[in-house]
Amino acid sequence: MGGIVIHLPQGSGDAGAEPYAEDAVTLRLGPGEVARFGRGSATTPVELRLVDEAISRLAGEIRVTDDHWQLTNHSATQSYLVENPEGAGEYLRVPPRRAGTPIPFEFSRVVLPTRRNTAVAFQVFAPDHVYLDPDAMGGPWGSRTVTAYSLDETATYFLVLAALCEPRLRDESPVAVPTTPQIVERLKGHAACARLTARAVSSHIDYLAEEKMRISTPAGCEPGSRAARRNGKREAVVGLALRFGLVREEHLALLPPRTVA
Amino acid sequence: MRRDTSGGDGTEPLPPGYRIGDWEVTTPIGAGGWATVYAGRRVGGGSQEDDVALKILSTEGLAPRQARKVADTARREAELGRRARHPRLIRILDSVVISEPDRPFLDGAIVLVMERAARSMRDLIDAGPTEAEGARLIADVCEGLAHLHRTGWVHGDLKPDNVLLMADGSAKLADFGLATELTGTRGTHGYALPMGTFDYLPPERWKAPLGEHGVQVRPSTDIWALGIMIHQVFAAGASPFPGATPVSRAAAAQEYADGRAPLRMDNAVPPFWRALAADCLAPTHTARAAHTAETLLARITDRQVATRSTGGRRWRLPRVALMAAAVCGAAVASWSYATHDSEAGAPAAPTAAETPGRVRVFNTEQACKERTDRIPDCSLGLAVDPLRPYTVDNVVPTRVWHGDVLAADCQFSQGVPIVDEAGTWSAQWFRVRLPRGSARPTAWLPAVRTKDRPALPPCPRPTPLR
Repeated sequence: MGGIVIHLPQGSGDAGAEPYAEDAVTLRLGPGEVARFGRGSATTPVELRLVDEAISRLAGEIRVTDDHWQLTNHSATQSYLVENPEGAGEYLRVPPRRAGTPIPFEFSRVVLPTRRNTAVAFQVFAPDHVYLDPDAMGGPWGSRTVTAYSLDETATYFLVLAALCEPRLRDESPVAVPTTPQIVERLKGHAACARLTARAVSSHIDYLAEEKMRISTPAGCEPGSRAARRNGKREAVVGLALRFGLVREEHLALLPPRTVA
Repeated sequence: MRRDTSGGDGTEPLPPGYRIGDWEVTTPIGAGGWATVYAGRRVGGGSQEDDVALKILSTEGLAPRQARKVADTARREAELGRRARHPRLIRILDSVVISEPDRPFLDGAIVLVMERAARSMRDLIDAGPTEAEGARLIADVCEGLAHLHRTGWVHGDLKPDNVLLMADGSAKLADFGLATELTGTRGTHGYALPMGTFDYLPPERWKAPLGEHGVQVRPSTDIWALGIMIHQVFAAGASPFPGATPVSRAAAAQEYADGRAPLRMDNAVPPFWRALAADCLAPTHTARAAHTAETLLARITDRQVATRSTGGRRWRLPRVALMAAAVCGAAVASWSYATHDSEAGAPAAPTAAETPGRVRVFNTEQACKERTDRIPDCSLGLAVDPLRPYTVDNVVPTRVWHGDVLAADCQFSQGVPIVDEAGTWSAQWFRVRLPRGSARPTAWLPAVRTKDRPALPPCPRPTPLR
């Protein structure tokens, strides 16, 4: 159980509004750890500072529990929303003073209301979510030997992974790994990926490599060369996913049908 | 890569009498993630040794890549069985590939023929073992692990389900499907499939990077699992980490390893075993590496000997003999305590001519260094034969404690290597004289048990006993 990652993007300054964070912030919390968020003050320290006058000094806190996290709303009046960006509108409302709401999403966007048109939001990733192995279903699994890396086969990152592995799974090429534009093109026909950008594909690959599979830096890459590093990572993700059976032939069915080029 | 073959689709029970090579099926035993297991016996055999377990790894319906993986697992298991033979490891007697083109479940299946066990350690834990039963079980597991690690393998999936109990009550390690051969330049680590069982995975595993060959595993991986098992044996199967599910217990173990929570063991675990489990559960690989299966086994063995001899046979220098020795000017006054010797009945001081060297016993356990009451838990053993494993049947009844000064007459540098609790390694031994009246005149002290290095002549190679 490695914990969760909280990411507060740099204030976007939409519609001329003041940015609510000076710099992007990334926090990592291990099991049992807590991060408080809010406007903060000298007497009310917070780990995640959200600069907006409508937000309380201590607006809430996040606590890592098991493979997920809990959200406590310290506001007496405001509800917060936790959205699942991949859930087609799926969200939770956390009412005022609610303590320890378990959050079931691997990806979450926590949204706090402001008095302006924009909302303050930050992201929380819970890469440790546990999935049972296909053969471990329907029985006690506590003492079973399981794969220690579990992937959500309905997540967009899994589609990206399947598309990356496709040429090798179809034995079309023992070495080829598709490029980011090729992945965007390949997944275009999928309902969940109609608006998938190249940047999003790169983020998914980074997430797979760093948070899900924790790939050790591939050796033999030109240090400093960003492209080489990214390619090395991409190849390492494919190599390991296939070697350890994380992506198998049956997963090709998740991809949209191929159109004859 | 693994499918449930226990029920529903894919199941094709083998009928009693089904022949596999020289073996025939008798009854089904069970099914796990990896395989289906049947009881079997050698065709035409009638003795107990002819009873075997047949572990069937089916490749039906698997893509070639996955089928290869099943074959690899079986190969690894058979390979280990062949190379690391030991009474504490389940023996693999044979492996057979079935050819049955008409029966897809069986065609291409790999069958491992193994010794048949009576039950698993999990069953014993559920039944609630006595302390003596638990102690024996843990000693057996340690012995198996010590051998496995010595031969350069890590089990990788040690848990009560993978420790089998034989009809005579002895325990053997089984299921080497995730076993890894230590490679590294100095044989310190190997790489394993990224798999395991939540409750037994060491905390560093959750942060371990996945490399081309898998995740890094080291003997300390098995030691962590052993720590969990020791706790379970004495705490009715409960893990030392709180939580209702394996996931929350894994998170609790992580919290402990990160230093945010203390280790809280059940009070039902006796102090000796609690200390042993705590060492196995040291939070980092580095801290845990000081405790090897070998040193843990030595501690268990030492204690068993001490406990066994407390019932009257515990060593006390016979007063009369001592007096006699003192009066006669002691031709062979070979044993002395330079310190705190009054309560043990101070024997005569050694005469210089008779004692070429003196070695003062050193115990790495801080708690033992500070005590002078010679409790059994702080005693150390002396080996009968430095060429044989340092186990319970290879130590003399005489015990020694921190600070004791022994008379050594020669040294032997090619004995069984011993690693102490601090990780110091040495294959050197000192031959020390035993008090008069002992069954044998001398015994052997591992060099890691003293800081002294007297200039002593080399001993003649000990003649093997037995």
